[in-house]
Amino acid sequence: MSNPEAQAAQAAHQALIEQLDIHSIHKTFRNPHWRPNQRRNKNIKTILGDASRKEASVIATPQDNSGAATPALQDNDGLSTSGTSTPAVPSASGNPSLQPNLAQASRSLSKLVLEKSLSAPSKPSNGATSSAPTATYTNIESAPSLAPLKHYCDVTGLPAPYLDPKTRMRYHNREVFAMIRNLPQGVGEQFLEARGAHTVLK
Amino acid sequence: MAPSATDDIVSRREAWKQLPPPTVYPVKEARFEKYLPPQVDGRERALAQPPGQAAIVIDNGSSSVRAGWSFESKPRLAIPPIMAKYRDRKLNKTFSFAGQDCYADTTARGHIRNAFEAGTGIISNWDVMEHVLDHVFIKLGMNGVEGGIDMPIVMTEAVANLPYSRKSLTEIIFECYGAPSLVYGIDSLFSYRYNKGQTGLVVSSSYSATHLIPVYNSKAMLAQAIRLNWGGWHAAEYLLKLIKLKYHTGFPGKLNSSQAEQMVRDFCYVSLDYDRELARFLDWTGLEDRERIVQYPYTEEVVVQKTEEELARIAERKKESGRRLQEQAAKMRLERLMKKEQELEYYKDVQRRIADQNKKEVKRLLDEAELKDEAALERVIRELERSIKRARTKDLGGEQEEEQEAPDFSLLDVPDDQLDEAGLKQKRQQRLLKSNHDARARAKAEKEAEKARIAEEARLDEERRINDLEGWLEDKRQARLAKLAQIKERERLKADLGNRKSLASQIRMKNIANLASDNPSGASGGRKRRRGGDDDDFGADDADWGVYRSVAIGANKGDSDDDEEGEEDLEAAVRALEADLLTYDKDFTYEHTLDAQKDWSKSLLHAFRYGPRPFDPSSPAETHRIHLNVERIRVPEVLFQPSAIAGVDQAGIVEIAGDILTQRLPSIAGLDRDQFLRDVFLTGGNTLFQNFDERLRSGLTALLPAGAPLVIRRAEDAVLDAWRGAAGWACTPEAKKAWVTREEYLEKGAEYFKEHDLGNAFG
Repeated sequence: MSNPEAQAAQAAHQALIEQLDIHSIHKTFRNPHWRPNQRRNKNIKTILGDASRKEASVIATPQDNSGAATPALQDNDGLSTSGTSTPAVPSASGNPSLQPNLAQASRSLSKLVLEKSLSAPSKPSNGATSSAPTATYTNIESAPSLAPLKHYCDVTGLPAPYLDPKTRMRYHNREVFAMIRNLPQGVGEQFLEARGAHTVLK
Repeated sequence: MAPSATDDIVSRREAWKQLPPPTVYPVKEARFEKYLPPQVDGRERALAQPPGQAAIVIDNGSSSVRAGWSFESKPRLAIPPIMAKYRDRKLNKTFSFAGQDCYADTTARGHIRNAFEAGTGIISNWDVMEHVLDHVFIKLGMNGVEGGIDMPIVMTEAVANLPYSRKSLTEIIFECYGAPSLVYGIDSLFSYRYNKGQTGLVVSSSYSATHLIPVYNSKAMLAQAIRLNWGGWHAAEYLLKLIKLKYHTGFPGKLNSSQAEQMVRDFCYVSLDYDRELARFLDWTGLEDRERIVQYPYTEEVVVQKTEEELARIAERKKESGRRLQEQAAKMRLERLMKKEQELEYYKDVQRRIADQNKKEVKRLLDEAELKDEAALERVIRELERSIKRARTKDLGGEQEEEQEAPDFSLLDVPDDQLDEAGLKQKRQQRLLKSNHDARARAKAEKEAEKARIAEEARLDEERRINDLEGWLEDKRQARLAKLAQIKERERLKADLGNRKSLASQIRMKNIANLASDNPSGASGGRKRRRGGDDDDFGADDADWGVYRSVAIGANKGDSDDDEEGEEDLEAAVRALEADLLTYDKDFTYEHTLDAQKDWSKSLLHAFRYGPRPFDPSSPAETHRIHLNVERIRVPEVLFQPSAIAGVDQAGIVEIAGDILTQRLPSIAGLDRDQFLRDVFLTGGNTLFQNFDERLRSGLTALLPAGAPLVIRRAEDAVLDAWRGAAGWACTPEAKKAWVTREEYLEKGAEYFKEHDLGNAFG
């Protein structure tokens, strides 16, 4: 950094950094008293785990029909704008706050079945709404394919009629096979990983 | 091999010279553009709007957060949802950046964090999200407004967003930014609304996932929506993985996912008929048109061209220094010679003086000269004379003649009892000398004989060739085949050693155990030992040592280079035989040689990695190139075959769409499936691939009954229409019904929201 050009460039860069920086800008639109929960960053796995644990505890807790459940659940009753998708049967169905969904279904299948059979007759037969459980992040995931799988070469991506029993890699022809057999330790596993067919050690 | 086939290959090996020079594309990646000043005018215009007709619209996407004003036709800014925050210890100051600004500085680049969980549309890092929103509001000119954002906010969220995620964002918007009201909607539905869709199937493939949502009378049927966990992010990561594996032997350039993203965008396309196109993708004809070459930056090795004059000067300098060295050496030699001559002179003087002295005097003189006896003196003198003579002849440039006369072995013939003690000693010495001398002579003779034998062999070979060409050729052919078989066998063995259960490794293990045990009983050694008592004759046969070799192979690869050498030898032998065949056999052409078999023009993997031209590993430009060929269709194809290609255990979009259209919708009473078929709508950046709509059409046509009224259309702008739709919707009466105001938030909590046609359902 001795020559003046580099110094000038350095200074210009520093100026740009200062200009771009938003840390030093006083943000008047922010609430100065906003103190978020320090542990609010959660990944999907944790969120789903927490949610299902919460649900399990709700189910385990005996509830009366007073509707005096947790406030969030209480809101559910009347405030939804489209009445079609809120449970049509109010507290009579036993537990209005419990949305039928798959995560819960696995926990309390009998309850879900009961609830559905109770609510079915009173459902409006409007086509647009369905009797299927509400969409949740987990249950809208696509199911595995039913179509037969095609096989593609793990190296070139070309159609692969062969499978190497040693490395479990699919390959297109003799030349690719020779290459597969000469791969260094562990590289074959990386090829498999691209196809999600690698061995996962737990 | 048919002659036509060989012609074809010859032409291919040469044909590349007729190809135009390759088109190379520079590598692209996300980078800092320029400083964007806060746009205060937007807020002024917003304030000038009639009350309730202005809102801030944020399309909160995982690839890009687009933000602007509801009354404008396009977003004011689009930034990636990333931030970088670090503390500069030298300046003692914390810096934080959001969006593209993170790319402006190398330190910042190293600290980039993403608001979204990788590969999903769910926000997992709320500090980053806050930063990004800060950045957005500053750029929208909201800074300076006291007490919070005073505009309603419309935001997009993922389909079936997690309640926790929505709750956290709502909290931030109301608590931290103090917005008067907030409403969420689903991006692809906004895009559909903007493109005037009423009833249809929305196929939205974006950065983090692909969703298929049927929409009936402008209302999303979320219960029938399906998500495929594959989007632009996954495609880029997949391509990156493929490139790394393609050049797994080591690519010198630095690869990152942002570059891969650009490559997916620029070079990938959906194949109309994947299997057919794939099968012929690496064919040599037209490969140059199918491949795309990406050039990574590299530094050219600068070869300084020296002028004639400079070269001459350097040569002169070298010669000069050589001469100087020679002179010095000569001088030293001369000095040494003079010293030796002086010594010789001295010893001769001693000799002269002791010639006529008595024994005592002789002893004194010899002691003075540090010599043991007269014989030693004589030896010293003889040695000095010889070395002086040798030095002289060397200085004169004469050839040093090999020990001209055989040393004197006279004493050897004299019986021991006739010799005194000194004589006996000398005799012993002479015997030693003689055996040395003889051995040398023998070796020389053997060498000569070997040379003669080879010459004789060559002569015989030559003779045979002239007299019996056909037989000679046949022999050569057989020899070549034998060598080839040997090479193959060796390779097989090597490969076998990798397998623990193969015969080769089992024999090796047996050998090791045998060598290590105290009473070895190997297959070969044991029987011999039983016959010949306990005499260990290991090593009597040279082949015995081969045991160590067979044990060492593969044990540690670094040591087995003599093995490699052996292979070289075999190949050299094959090459020599082929050279003979090439000169004398007219049926044997270059195409039949081992080199030609291994030539790049025959290699599929060469075509795959380096395209239709030869590859020069010494050229930095060529080693820094990525050749994309099969990947161009392989990466987008994952959407159609997720499980077969990328191992995502889900159905492809054609199958999903088919399931929705032929199973799910018809099972709902009162719906006309054809209504949905008439409007299959594509939106999201990941649907922008060429042929995407065509491929979906052909795939669906196969699943639907003949004559089904299938119409597939693309969004006008697959990327920005979500924002535009949200902006257009933001201030309509139906949107206002769904607005959650600050009062409602305070009263009903963060999890409260209102359902509407374009948003998620309460779940």
